[in-house]
Amino acid sequence: MNHLKPEEIVDIAEGTRGEASAPHLSTCDICRAQLREMRAMLSTVSNVDVPEPSPLFWGQLSTRVHGAVAAERPRRSWADLWTWPRALVPAAVGIAVIVAAVILGSRAPIQPGPAAPAAAFNAGNNADALDAPDDPSLNFVADLTANLDWDAASEAGLTGGGSAEHAVTHLKDAELRELARLIKEEVARSGA
Amino acid sequence: MTPADPALADLDEAALVEACLAGRPGAFDLIVERHRRSVYQLCYRFVANHEDASDLSQDVFLRAFRGLKSFRGHASLSTWLYRIGVNVCLNRVSVKTPPSESIEEQQFVDVCAQSPADRLLQEERGARVRAAIAQLPPKQRATLILRMYHEMSHQEIADVLGGSVGAVKANFFHAMGNLKKLLGGFEP
Ligand SMILES: [Zn+2]
Repeated sequence: MNHLKPEEIVDIAEGTRGEASAPHLSTCDICRAQLREMRAMLSTVSNVDVPEPSPLFWGQLSTRVHGAVAAERPRRSWADLWTWPRALVPAAVGIAVIVAAVILGSRAPIQPGPAAPAAAFNAGNNADALDAPDDPSLNFVADLTANLDWDAASEAGLTGGGSAEHAVTHLKDAELRELARLIKEEVARSGA
Repeated sequence: MTPADPALADLDEAALVEACLAGRPGAFDLIVERHRRSVYQLCYRFVANHEDASDLSQDVFLRAFRGLKSFRGHASLSTWLYRIGVNVCLNRVSVKTPPSESIEEQQFVDVCAQSPADRLLQEERGARVRAAIAQLPPKQRATLILRMYHEMSHQEIADVLGGSVGAVKANFFHAMGNLKKLLGGFEP
């Protein structure tokens, strides 16, 4: 005697299949008992609600999730420069210097030598340019260089003062021209 | 955590997910607001206590946020969240035995239209059933919860848990059989 399969009993108990489609039921006490038990359990289990938590709970849950999600969002800024891979630090410094060179090129040369770029930008010649509040490119350079820890930069491979310039001047001429072109494009696009 | 942008409330699920991915403030808060009750209830049914259900719910939403890019709208957002919820709960229950409900938790059941005696009886009955469900083997538990309390078809459950529709029905059958044993002589 082939008893009904569990799937068949579930289908009949849930009503998606009629009892008439399983003539075996009329001759088998075991299967009839299983079907009866399944129906009784469906009734027992249904309408068992989850206890309603305090009405304040939902807001608390949202706040907790909001906090956890906020902690997940990446918080990248120039101040996070030192979380970048160390190999990128010289490149970032170099780009900052080139941006400054492109923007300030016609107004004043970058101070060469051991002075750090931040100090160079603050030299008297360029003070008026840096004070211009509506020049985002200059703000970009000033922000970047202001956040640099030059000891850390040195550890990262920028040995000695003026190494940012060194990094840039060691680019090949073609690379330098391409980099300058890209930066000019970027400056123009940002409306500087 | 009301959404910062009132226009968000008019967005459908897919657009709301896009808004989240675009970083619109309040978009994910709104998803949480819409689904927190059902996610919490799913988790509660797995663990049968408020504290763990609360932690699990937070975990579900955090994982949803991390994986939002993978939501493609093939399923509804609630089904997708249930899938995450089931995975989070299955991971948890595999390492932790669920404690039973406290009396305080049982008393939150909303049965205001009954006599005190009936209410007590229903509370006791509900608590016993929930506690028994939380003791089922994890996959049977998941199947029973999704089928009985989240109105999912056997096919949808198969999609969430993996496996065939036949296997889901067999799991459901065995879940009910084991539940009957766990409830012992208890007469509903
Ligand atoms: Zn039979």
